[in-house]
Amino acid sequence: MNTNQLSWKELGRRSGGALMIPCAFAVILLTLCAVNGRAMIANQTSFYNFVVYTAIVMVTTMALSINLNSGRFDFSLGAMAILSSVVSAKITFALLGGGAGSAPCMLLFNVIVGALLGLLSGTLYVVLRIPPIITSLGVTLIFEGITYTITGGRYVMQEVQNASMSGFIGTWVYAFLIIVAVLALTVLIFDHTKFGYDYKALREGQKVAVNTGVREVPNALGCYAICGALMGVVGFLNTARNTNINGGNLNFGSISIMFTAFLPMFIGSYIGRYVNEKLGFLLAALCMSMLNSTFAVFSNELNASTQSIINAVLLVLFLIYLSNEGALRRFLRPVRKNASTEVRA
Amino acid sequence: MMKKSMKKLFALLLASALILSVFAGCSGKSTENSADPANSPAGGNEEQSQAPAPANEKPIKIGVLVADVSGEEALGFRNYYENYIAKNYNVELLYTEQLTDAAGERSAIERFAAQGCQAIISFSSSDRAMQVETCAQNKLFYAVASGMLDDEQYETYKTNEWFVGQVGPSMETEFEAGYAMGKYFADKGAKTIAMYGAFIPNPMHVYRAAGVIAGMGATYGGASDMGAIVGQIFGDQGVDPSKVSGGSVELVSYFQGYGETTTDELNAAIQAQPDAFLSVGMATTFFTQQLNTAGIEFSDIDSFTSGNQAAMTDGKLVYLAGKYSSSIGPIFAAVVDAVNGNPIRGEGGTAISVSQSYLVATDTASFDKYYSADQGDSPIYNKELLDTMIGDSVTYADFQAFVEADRS
Repeated sequence: MNTNQLSWKELGRRSGGALMIPCAFAVILLTLCAVNGRAMIANQTSFYNFVVYTAIVMVTTMALSINLNSGRFDFSLGAMAILSSVVSAKITFALLGGGAGSAPCMLLFNVIVGALLGLLSGTLYVVLRIPPIITSLGVTLIFEGITYTITGGRYVMQEVQNASMSGFIGTWVYAFLIIVAVLALTVLIFDHTKFGYDYKALREGQKVAVNTGVREVPNALGCYAICGALMGVVGFLNTARNTNINGGNLNFGSISIMFTAFLPMFIGSYIGRYVNEKLGFLLAALCMSMLNSTFAVFSNELNASTQSIINAVLLVLFLIYLSNEGALRRFLRPVRKNASTEVRA
Repeated sequence: MMKKSMKKLFALLLASALILSVFAGCSGKSTENSADPANSPAGGNEEQSQAPAPANEKPIKIGVLVADVSGEEALGFRNYYENYIAKNYNVELLYTEQLTDAAGERSAIERFAAQGCQAIISFSSSDRAMQVETCAQNKLFYAVASGMLDDEQYETYKTNEWFVGQVGPSMETEFEAGYAMGKYFADKGAKTIAMYGAFIPNPMHVYRAAGVIAGMGATYGGASDMGAIVGQIFGDQGVDPSKVSGGSVELVSYFQGYGETTTDELNAAIQAQPDAFLSVGMATTFFTQQLNTAGIEFSDIDSFTSGNQAAMTDGKLVYLAGKYSSSIGPIFAAVVDAVNGNPIRGEGGTAISVSQSYLVATDTASFDKYYSADQGDSPIYNKELLDTMIGDSVTYADFQAFVEADRS
């Protein structure tokens, strides 16, 4: 009985902790919209955009976190997404000429090519054994250079502008299915397989894990391949959403794709203290999508650069909070104690 | 030992790949049709097309500055130069990659000079004054295609012997094109519009946007005349929707440029559910599919290409102010004259400055009429016509009449 009560209390604590930030986002942003006589999601189109954007942010965040949580900073994620999209778009167009089935075909190739690119990136890291941050810089340049060579620096448009692609983005259903599938697969792989247990063991203590027989190299390669496959999905979603691929990204121009995932990754990791981290990334992506929808509502008042500044300020504020969380608790604890003492008195 | 060698080999391969990728980034198509290795640019970042030259005659070598490598209009222009001009004249055309700033323009001109180019035709407008000066320093003839210097710049450089001239819509023409577009939708009964400002502060786009606002019957910051609106837009570096007032049409959404946030901005514009989406350039390149899907009527200032024809026939493009792809033919003829020692000069030795106006299509029939008149192998400005402007007896008046003649 007592155990059950504790369990319900724990459940409540966890739910509260997990939903605290998304609810705060929702309350603040909905109030902001309402005060100005507007709606955050005003019509069907804005709802579709909301779901698609949530999918893009969630999958990018997962891809970023997989390696970053293991101390491997990967700059090449954006370049992977773009290159996999360019290659897949060319192959798909060659096969189907923009006809029926182009979208699922391109998605499939995106995942395959993305995984191969991720594997290549991981192989270079494993073989060269130089810091991943350096390797990934080189890999980014290589992938961007290959993309530029394929496209001649032009936008890839003809290959991705067709009824199948617009149909994919013209509803919330497909993006929602992608969210569910990616969430289920990542939870399965990282929480319910030997690969996932090894990944966690290596993340918590590499030396100890290796000494206990965990094979580090295959696990790292697997992580890179999964990241690549996820970025393939991101590349596909971005292509469908933008109806083109920018083939002219050079000199780390692709890195911005990765940076959109930083704030949700920190928020998601925070939420991950209360629930499964992957679910945390979804909730964080929902927060970012609410913010994005609010920006859309106020697009005439807030231009693109102002929106970027707001995003950056939010990231910095959240990092300041995370860095000073302990101090904040210590600061607040006496106040709480005093308050409870006063109540008792 | 073996493992160590493999590591070294991988390191070497990675280093090679890195170097190659850097060079690949600077290159477009290979310059395989260049017989002389010296013709290959240092960074390898030009593409070229050349007609077979007569045995004992050296081709005229022209560098083309390009700011847009993807747009419908830009591709149409390029197609005309590469697939018609280069095949019909003894000329070698070298192209830059996409130029995004003045520094890129300068280095491209200097590289063209090093490659032995005799003239530059510019489609890039980051800093045209600098382009004229750099060409003069490098003894290259310079011409502006499909655009113009602003009046002050033209006054400064019009007697420069290396400045061949400019043929394209004047800034007043750009304003008028925007005005006609804004008025079209106001007259049509549109109550709300979204607007895409393309690449403001590019002067061409500034003037067009100012025209749209005036055409809607609105004022900008209280001003309704061209000069005052244009001045404010330059000052704001964009259109501030809160300064647009009056008239019967409301501007419900505005955005400009193309980058990471563009799709979000376009989505915001679509979510505002405007009666029409007015663009002062490049919308047909970037947004056709989304606007067709959203069912929002849109307009643009571009050119008569197959892509735009499809957008008008099967999509929601309802208004297009455009140019013929071969409208850049006359300036080519003027450049050839200058290189051959027969420059066309106006009174007092001034450079050519002739304005071209836009043609407007509001339905498939009018679009097809303009489009079919200017096809790949039979452009409006064909060899027969252009040849009348190449020679030592062509006067400024002849050239002006040639450009201004109605060929629709």
